[in-house]
Amino acid sequence: MPLADALSFLPRLATALAKPAEDAAALRRLAEWCGRYSPWTAPDGADGVRIEITGSAHLWGGERALAADLAARLDRRGVASRIVIADTLGAAWAMARFAEASASVVILASGQLRAALASLPVEALRLDPITAQGLRRVGLKRAGDLYAMPRDALARRFGETVARLLDQALDEMPEPLSPLGEVPSRRVRLSFAEPITEPADLMLATERLTADLVPRLAREGTGARRLDLGFYRVDGRVERIRIGTAHPSRDPRHLAALFRERLDTVDPGLGVEDMILAAHAVEPLPAEQIGLPGHTASPHPNPPPLAGEGMGGGIAPLLDRLGNRLGLAAISRLEPRESHIPERASVRVQPHLTLPIPTDQVRGLKAHDAMGPLPLPPKGRRGPKTPSPPPGAERAGVRWGISGKPTRPIRLFEPPEPIEAFWLLPDDPPFRFMWRRCRHRVTQADGPERIADEWWLPGASGEVDAIRDYYRVEDEEGRRFWLFRAGLHGGDHKPRWFVHGVFS
Amino acid sequence: MAHGVLPFGVAAIDRALPGGGLARGALHEILGAGGDEEDGALAAAFAAQILGRLTRPPTSPSRSLTRPGPSLSPLKGGEGKQTLPLSAFGGGEGRGEVGVVLWCLPRPDLYGPGLAAHGLDPGRVVLVRASRDAEILWAMEEGLRAPGMVAVVGEIGSFPMVASRRLQLAAERSGITAFLLRRWRDGGQAARERALPNAAVTRWRIASLPSLPTRGEPGVGHPRWRVELLRCRGGEPASWEMPAWEMPAWEMPAWEMPAWEMPAWEMPACEMEVPDATDHVSLAAALADRPAAPVASEKYRRAG
Repeated sequence: MPLADALSFLPRLATALAKPAEDAAALRRLAEWCGRYSPWTAPDGADGVRIEITGSAHLWGGERALAADLAARLDRRGVASRIVIADTLGAAWAMARFAEASASVVILASGQLRAALASLPVEALRLDPITAQGLRRVGLKRAGDLYAMPRDALARRFGETVARLLDQALDEMPEPLSPLGEVPSRRVRLSFAEPITEPADLMLATERLTADLVPRLAREGTGARRLDLGFYRVDGRVERIRIGTAHPSRDPRHLAALFRERLDTVDPGLGVEDMILAAHAVEPLPAEQIGLPGHTASPHPNPPPLAGEGMGGGIAPLLDRLGNRLGLAAISRLEPRESHIPERASVRVQPHLTLPIPTDQVRGLKAHDAMGPLPLPPKGRRGPKTPSPPPGAERAGVRWGISGKPTRPIRLFEPPEPIEAFWLLPDDPPFRFMWRRCRHRVTQADGPERIADEWWLPGASGEVDAIRDYYRVEDEEGRRFWLFRAGLHGGDHKPRWFVHGVFS
Repeated sequence: MAHGVLPFGVAAIDRALPGGGLARGALHEILGAGGDEEDGALAAAFAAQILGRLTRPPTSPSRSLTRPGPSLSPLKGGEGKQTLPLSAFGGGEGRGEVGVVLWCLPRPDLYGPGLAAHGLDPGRVVLVRASRDAEILWAMEEGLRAPGMVAVVGEIGSFPMVASRRLQLAAERSGITAFLLRRWRDGGQAARERALPNAAVTRWRIASLPSLPTRGEPGVGHPRWRVELLRCRGGEPASWEMPAWEMPAWEMPAWEMPAWEMPAWEMPACEMEVPDATDHVSLAAALADRPAAPVASEKYRRAG
């Protein structure tokens, strides 16, 4: 019915514009909030939330108590709801939308599935309207009418979907639920009788949670690499702190300290009623010997209460603190690589590096791509990527390749900075150059040291422009630069000059 | 001087410093000069020299004398020490021992081979990249509170008095030595910041001088620095001209640094007579009983 007609029938009708995007976002938030009942939650269509409560109902004192708690909380927030707990997603969906019972909570016992669904209209099988209409046209009006139909006949006539949805609703075919977020491997929850807002209380609760999580990790001999602390607010929003650690850890004080750094980013709103701490990535962490009294085996002032809490080194906690504030990508270590291209001979790697971690979870937790394309080939073409180092390169003795080579600068610019150079003969170093709007007159020069492209690598251009002639020059002030000329005289392009580094 | 000093091994400099060396557990400020105020190459090199001595195990001098010089002998070339596992980090509870240097910098232009050439094992350096001065100061302070750190270096533009006092106190408390390298974006910032006081115990300025030409050889000779001690708590400002302590490349067996004593030259004697073509005169003189010539050892390696 068009709006104008509706208004003519009912002049005082309140109208509002539909905002599907905002509705979807709100539903998603609701689904996320439902994470307090189980980690497996997802929004369902435009008007529902699915929760997989297998194995978590007992935490709430049974399914009925769980549903009552959920209903009460939704009611308090003014969300009209109907909650159905059933064996299958299909049955729960159907009952929530098409059951005629007036109760807002319906719990289907395991055996009642077929009987309960039989009397519902065929639309309850999550069919699209055209298929449902087709079924009705041949007289199949209720879901129960389909029970007796041979599945292959149904599939021939109405497509695979009908048969599949029917089977899924009747628990004859599995239907997985893909959760909203990543499902953690370990999870602990803390609920408060009264919502809390004070930072001190939040910190106390965080310490309780980490202390709860740690014994479980210790039992399994694992340590957490990635943790997620969710603050479930009274108004249904969820605030999160995600932290990553440089080294698997199950030191409760260390983990709590990492959260403390970020606690001020959490807005508790009107109050936080639940906190859930989830460990997303765990790695083996064998038990460690803790120090005897009087010995200092651990860098902490007091030995931690449980075995295995040490960090395997004094600076891992520091790296964690730095990494969680600045991004773990900001922390790196220099490592030599077997390459004579200067910028590839020293790469920045993570100070640790064990398992790959999805980058969307923790900011840029991966090795730095310190090996960008060579800046030299002419515009628009990318140079070759350096392949990853050969396996075991670290151990096999890649050295800081300076033996036998001319001196290397202490600062290396990446990318090299172009300069305007003036020279006399083709193979001469420049006698003068302009860099950063300053003029430098060259008084002494060493070189050239020719460094060519790594032609044996796939993607090497092999072009003349990739050849660099390096000169170490000194200007009249005594500053020493590392200049190079890209390309040769007489080639297709005029050679270009760059300053690549500064010597001490 | 609650945490002792690190002597430079250069009598003239040590005389100028109270206690006969660079105070440990204190904040030191290092400036570049001229155009280098922006790049900080000289400041980084000077810091790397000092850090190289701070991080080296104290036993190395004697070992190096028995070692066959810079030869990369297949047996004891240091294989197996290439990467330091995390657990190897941070053992430096005792001071002056093997440990880690935290180097906080705004852009990662520090070059590993260059550090190695100045005697600092790059594998001992943990780089922290932060774009803002405040974050760098925070990271330095965190580093100064961490056990297992030997030294903390920060590269920073503006350095307020309060921040410097915090760092100095943190360094005093933990005994970790802190170095602050100043890098200014442009001349304007340099002019504003250069004269401002801060709580650092010493303030150094390193300027490059035209290199000493090698006799009969064209090209860049042995680099020289002017090292100025601009400010020193309990000492007098002073200034020296000296050859840069840069290892000639072939003196350096990559990871395992030669002990590389600070050469025992006295100031008047450092005119660098007879730098020969291989450029390693000033250092070779200190290690008198080196058995094998570098060239020979290279040949040996190739044959093996």
